[in-house]
Amino acid sequence: MTTSTDTPAQITDTVRGIVAEVLAVPADALSLDTDLRGVEGADSIKVLRMIARIEREFDVELEDEDVFGVSTIAEVSDVVRKAL
Amino acid sequence: MTVALPWRTREDHRCFGCAPRNPHGLGLTFEQAGDALWTEFDLGHHYESYPGVVHGGIVALICDETMGNLIVLRNGTPAVTTSMRMRYIGTVHVGLPHRVAATLTSASPTLIGAAADVTDARGDLVASATATYHRSAS
Repeated sequence: MTTSTDTPAQITDTVRGIVAEVLAVPADALSLDTDLRGVEGADSIKVLRMIARIEREFDVELEDEDVFGVSTIAEVSDVVRKAL
Repeated sequence: MTVALPWRTREDHRCFGCAPRNPHGLGLTFEQAGDALWTEFDLGHHYESYPGVVHGGIVALICDETMGNLIVLRNGTPAVTTSMRMRYIGTVHVGLPHRVAATLTSASPTLIGAAADVTDARGDLVASATATYHRSAS
């Protein structure tokens, strides 16, 4: 499990890895400002599945306002960091 | 192999989730796989919210049941739910098989944390739960 001592870069790397796995795209194809819902094959269910994986990985409970308000890896990483 | 719950022989065992002799209950049975306890369900229209969709409260109940029974089997004593949080992801369909698998996530002298994942027949995650349980004295 990822911990609160992770650096922002480590958090971002972990988020990027989960996003890549759930959306079935190479991690290096995802930039920090990629619109996650705009990735080919992405849909609202996959985004929620990704959020569930991230919550479990970091042992956090993200607010729905954040879940539905974020659209990039940078934004997801930011709400995770604040939740830790 | 189906796990035998400690109270299976009690005459007053009427748990809505797992009692085999409660005609109104779900009659869930459980199996172990590694550190996890899992159950499968395939519910009819009596348990739906929107047409064809299993009610989210029923899904939460099955998660709670699976996590709670895992704790009982690990510790040998009951534990009561103190809080539970659901993340609903996709649709749990009436008339289709689903699986709930629970694992323990933390333990202190008084509290136990657990998590459960609900997956469909393809193995896709459709809901997940986290919960905290208080150890019961008996």
